[in-house]
Amino acid sequence: MPLSMLRPGETGWIKEIVGGRKAKGKLNDLGFVSGKQVKIYRSSGGPLIVGIGDNRIALGKGMAHKVIVDTEGCEN
Amino acid sequence: MALNKTSRKETEVKIALAGNPNSGKTTLFNELTGSRQHVGNWPGVTVEKKTGHAFYKEYALEVIDLPGTYSLGAYSEDEVVARDFLTAGQYDLVLDIINSANLERNLYFTIQLLEMGVDLVAVLNMADEAEKKGIKINKHKLSQMLGAPVVETVASKGRGIENLLAETIKNRDLTEPALEINYGAEIEDLITEIAKLFMEYDFTNQVNHRWAAVKLIEHDPEAVKLLEREVGSSKAKKIKSLIAERELKAKDDFDNIIIDKKYELINKIITESVKAPAAGQEPENMSDKIDAVVTNKYLGIPIFLVVMWAIFKFTFTLGDPLIGYIETLFEVIGGWAGGLLTGLGASPLVASFITDGIIGGVGSVLVFIPNIFLLFLAIGILEDSGYMSRAAYIMDKVMSKLGLHGKSFIPMVIGFGCNVPGIMATRTLENKRDRIISILINPLMSCSARLPVYVVFAGALFPNHGSTVVFSLYLLGIIMAVVMSGVFNKLLFKGERSHFVMELPPYRFPTAKGVFIHMWEKTGAFLKKAGTIIFSVVVLIWVLANLPLGVEYASANSFIGHFGRFVAPIFKPLGFGSWQAASSLVFGILAKEVVVGTLGVVYAAGETGLRTVLATQFTPLAAYSFMAMVLLYTPCIASLGAIKSETQSWKWTLVTAGYLFVLAWVVAFIIYQGGMLLGLGA
Ligand SMILES: Nc1nc2c(ncn2[C@@H]2O[C@H](COP(=O)(O)OP(=O)(O)OP(=O)(O)O)[C@@H](O)[C@H]2O)c(=O)[nH]1
Ligand SMILES: [Mg+2]
Repeated sequence: MPLSMLRPGETGWIKEIVGGRKAKGKLNDLGFVSGKQVKIYRSSGGPLIVGIGDNRIALGKGMAHKVIVDTEGCEN
Repeated sequence: MALNKTSRKETEVKIALAGNPNSGKTTLFNELTGSRQHVGNWPGVTVEKKTGHAFYKEYALEVIDLPGTYSLGAYSEDEVVARDFLTAGQYDLVLDIINSANLERNLYFTIQLLEMGVDLVAVLNMADEAEKKGIKINKHKLSQMLGAPVVETVASKGRGIENLLAETIKNRDLTEPALEINYGAEIEDLITEIAKLFMEYDFTNQVNHRWAAVKLIEHDPEAVKLLEREVGSSKAKKIKSLIAERELKAKDDFDNIIIDKKYELINKIITESVKAPAAGQEPENMSDKIDAVVTNKYLGIPIFLVVMWAIFKFTFTLGDPLIGYIETLFEVIGGWAGGLLTGLGASPLVASFITDGIIGGVGSVLVFIPNIFLLFLAIGILEDSGYMSRAAYIMDKVMSKLGLHGKSFIPMVIGFGCNVPGIMATRTLENKRDRIISILINPLMSCSARLPVYVVFAGALFPNHGSTVVFSLYLLGIIMAVVMSGVFNKLLFKGERSHFVMELPPYRFPTAKGVFIHMWEKTGAFLKKAGTIIFSVVVLIWVLANLPLGVEYASANSFIGHFGRFVAPIFKPLGFGSWQAASSLVFGILAKEVVVGTLGVVYAAGETGLRTVLATQFTPLAAYSFMAMVLLYTPCIASLGAIKSETQSWKWTLVTAGYLFVLAWVVAFIIYQGGMLLGLGA
């Protein structure tokens, strides 16, 4: 499911990035690559705040739709 | 790819600072070269390349600071500047500035440089933050795995600079082979075939051929352009269709494989050379706690407004008494100089030049040094704290209603200091349409040059509500910016919509050095402006006020009086139809402070102070209308110049100059005539 569906505090694992070359490239550059664990810090109202490791990245809704995540899988 | 040395001295070394945004490049650049370039805690502070010089032993280093970039993909203008410089290869060595506390993502860029065959020293900056997080980096191991020297620094504290210089000199002739990552059989075969075609087609460009092949497989538009340039479009097409054909046959997307393999390598490097506390175990950090409040859905915007109000209060409340002192000082000097000069038998003309021209004109502007100083002190603290990117986050919702997004808000905040860097800061916006709209509205942000106008008028006519009046003007500017971006969004070309992505760096305690640099540089620039353009215009106006020969100084029959009377009818419906006001507005286009300078000269305010004079010449309503005019009308020459060079278009420059004048006129008209109707005219 798209990252934008996750609620604050939830984590997911990036499955794939969909969308155009530019959007995808931009997301890859910022560390959104498949297999990475992401955590949602904020999702209500405006853009998301997503944590990848120690990084915090603000992500507009449109971009967040392009990041497809799994919520279970590698969880231990 | 060391530079060709033949034409240069053996002791000259040219190095470039490159790396992720906000990794500390400019901080390091300032340390190395003694420059005072703008530093701030958000990604995208530096948007153009800057050159400085450093000396070490007998070596002379030319150091180039580049805008930060996450990759060589270059999605925005500032990144293009960095990418073009790095691929052109006109340097001996690159210092790749890495945020040690954020190795994985920073190494993604390092790897790209190494693949391109760039000779670099990996600079592990922010070593203090890594240490605080318990991250331990084995430099020896890392160096071995990267095939590049590794140095540790803490740029903000000046630590490790000496060692960095020594390593730089030691490695100035470094020529390491380009890094080769094994991308797996399918891609490797394709690379080999492309390389063969390169030979066949006589692709002789000096770029690393393997790198170029990988870039082509990634469909990098620049690589495609390069290929077409070198071998012609028909041969380029053959290579492209070869890639397309292989891609169809392949199980996985080539792009994905290439990225995965890069990260695989990075992870291997990190596992072998870094010890860090297990991920996910860390307690919520300080920045997250602050963000929980600051970016709150309901609190975000109110907190932002409070921050703006605080900056504003700080600038005025603290500045006002200081202005008073300086004003008194100038008045004393003015009176004293006048007396002395006449006493010495100087001609009245010379006395008038000193008191009316210099002290009345330039002095009226210089009085505002304390405000300028305090404003930039406050902006410096704001910029260095990390709040800027939060402000962008908070405003995204509002901005997206206008067809822009949160990142467009940063140039606006910078515009409160000065519109020129504000306009330049739009380089970080990826989308051309966003960029043009942001440029068009930037002059509506009330910059520090308008401040003297407000303070002098508010002081003269709103002695008890001065700060409310001035704050309302700042808000008026923001509201007009919002309205106009909405209008442009509807009227202008419908470009693709871009989406908001921005890193939120950890909050950092503003460094004294960073903040003071900002303050000194800006105050210095203000003084320079006072000494050059403002001074020249003031002298010109003084001369015009004395001509034709024998005319009464600054009377309606002087040249400036004639000129003013000619223009004044335009402004009459706005409440300030005097020739003095009209000529100050015309000359104010040269620099907005000149409005005050001109009024100082034409009202001969050297001895009495400008506020005293203005109190008798304007009604409060007319003064408010005048201030709104100064805020909104045609931007200064420097801003227009920046608009021209950033948009590369006269059309947009003239559009900005024109629409702002009309907008200002209409708003001032509504304020004045509306106020009259409401009976506020007295
Ligand atoms: N703790 C710590 N902070 C640092 C260090 N070096 C720089 N900083 C801070 O990091 C922030 C970014 O510094 P800049 O020098 O503007 O970064 P930059 O790489 O030039 O950024 P861009 O121009 O946006 O690419 C500022 O707040 C600096 O004070 C360091 O070694 N340690
Ligand atoms: Mg910089």
